[in-house]
Amino acid sequence: MKRILLYTFLGITSFITILPFLWMVSASLMNDGEASVFPPVFIPDYATLIQFQTLFVRLNAAQNFLNSLLLSTIVTLLSLFFNSMAGYAFAKYRFAGKNSLFNLLLTSMIIPSQVTMLPLFLLLKYLGFINTYMAIVIPGLANIFGIFLIRQYCLSIPDSLIEAAKIDGAGDFEIYQKIILPLAVPILVTLAIFTFLGTWNDFLWPLIVLTDNSMYTLPVALANLMGEHTKDPELMMAGSLVTIIPVIIVFLVLQKYYIKGIMMGSVKE
Amino acid sequence: MAEVILKNVTKVYEANQKVVENICVEINDREFVVLVGPSGCGKSTTLRMIAGLEEITSGQILIDGVVVNDKPPKDRDIAMVFQNYALYPHLTVYENMAFGLKLRKFGKKEIENRVNEAAKILELENYLNKKPKSLSGGQRQRVAVGRAIVRKPKVFLFDEPLSNLDAKLRVQMRTEISKLHKSLNATMIYVTHDQTEAMTMGDRIVVMKDGVIQQVDTPLNLYNYPANKFVAGFIGSPSMNFIEGVILSDSNKFKCNSSEITFNLNQTLIDQLVKHVNRKIIIGIRPEDFYLEHEKQPASNVINIYIELIEPMGNEMFVHFSIDGNNCVARISPTDKIKEGDKVTLAFNLEKIKIFDTETNKLI
Repeated sequence: MKRILLYTFLGITSFITILPFLWMVSASLMNDGEASVFPPVFIPDYATLIQFQTLFVRLNAAQNFLNSLLLSTIVTLLSLFFNSMAGYAFAKYRFAGKNSLFNLLLTSMIIPSQVTMLPLFLLLKYLGFINTYMAIVIPGLANIFGIFLIRQYCLSIPDSLIEAAKIDGAGDFEIYQKIILPLAVPILVTLAIFTFLGTWNDFLWPLIVLTDNSMYTLPVALANLMGEHTKDPELMMAGSLVTIIPVIIVFLVLQKYYIKGIMMGSVKE
Repeated sequence: MAEVILKNVTKVYEANQKVVENICVEINDREFVVLVGPSGCGKSTTLRMIAGLEEITSGQILIDGVVVNDKPPKDRDIAMVFQNYALYPHLTVYENMAFGLKLRKFGKKEIENRVNEAAKILELENYLNKKPKSLSGGQRQRVAVGRAIVRKPKVFLFDEPLSNLDAKLRVQMRTEISKLHKSLNATMIYVTHDQTEAMTMGDRIVVMKDGVIQQVDTPLNLYNYPANKFVAGFIGSPSMNFIEGVILSDSNKFKCNSSEITFNLNQTLIDQLVKHVNRKIIIGIRPEDFYLEHEKQPASNVINIYIELIEPMGNEMFVHFSIDGNNCVARISPTDKIKEGDKVTLAFNLEKIKIFDTETNKLI
């Protein structure tokens, strides 16, 4: 009886949670005006792709999609590269001031990003990067959360593995490339998901640093869409769907690494 | 030639913590030398300094006549087998063994030959495509040894390689490593805290305590002529029994502190101890040098003891008793004639006893 009640409760809660998403999918396949009728229609009379056609053909959402994809991918790859090297160094290398430097980095996490937006904007302006991809890429090259995550993971790699590699003849970069990176795949994938999602969904920073429509990422373009087409909820739903589908795909493909990465270190092996 | 020489090697960590002090030892070419001692004695640190994994504070290490203090591990032509195997988990057995050779740009054919040869010696041919996680502890250790063999180094270093194995496997692997030394005829330096491993495997043994070498000698010499009380107690299982007491000047008898035990000394010992009359000394008697009085001819050097515990081992018995509050053990032939709680007379071989100075703990 208890199990039946539990599953019923979970089923209802899950349905309520997923309902807005289902409606979004449904509305994106509706004709103009069909989503605004009362009583509301949950299943379109005739499913159509006209909204997506409008989005990509008339409103050039393809360019915004490519911008988001390119920037998310570049930032993810570069930040993985730099974060992994920094995290590995903090975990396994001995150098003067290591602990103080790491603590300083951790402390800086309490500073809200809104506080640093203006100085960062001015810095990028002086460098001539405003309204370029570099304005998104450079601030995303490394972050303290990523360094911390990788450092914590690298601490669990036995020192003897690294020593064995040194004796075998590996240099520092070879150890990083051939031993550390392959072992760190679960945490790298977890960080990749975080970074990709974060960059893809980022709205405020691209809005500040990008000024041309052709440079806009999807969230910024979608916000514009909302401003210009408030009476076209079907078009907005199509735009929202295009924005979230790639991240859902990335998450579904990589979720087993994500869950493994989250659980890592929580249980003694 | 692959001799290893340590000259006045010292290691001091931060806060002036001296872990290895003034180590001087010469390891000859093709010799199997064991560094043995209790945990924290500096044996692993010494091995790691030879490997180049720890910096030397002062002194010199020479491998094959060349000072290697400033050489990185990869340039010292050494190979190391770690306690926890240190196998690369994402590589197969073949790839683990080939890793070092690939880094050194060996040809594919050469790598294949060396790996197959090592796999044959270590009976790993059927496991070359497997990953370490699917292997047993003994198999993993053999892969670690194989990874060292393929390099054909000047010196093999072993850092407690058998510590993580169960007792039966340890005995088996001990034999295999000894056979490997004979077949490869290479210089090997082996670290262990197990004196049985040291005694059975080493050509010579370096006994260490608190970062200092206590004695360097062959296993039998260490057993028969320990330099001090520590070596005497460390080598041999069960440990040597120590009885503190004084030599009486009027009777040339030894009397232990609590006057439970008194026995006559022979002329050899009397002559040896003439400077120590009326002074405290420590007598060491190995458990195997005791016997029940009735087993052999009557002896004048006997002690009467209460049996506290008997451990039957099958081919022998360990009889536990106390002298002066110290736990002692006698190793005798199995017999039904004694039981726990009995008062028995134990005799011992006077010629086998060791005498140590109370202040310096050195052998007199």
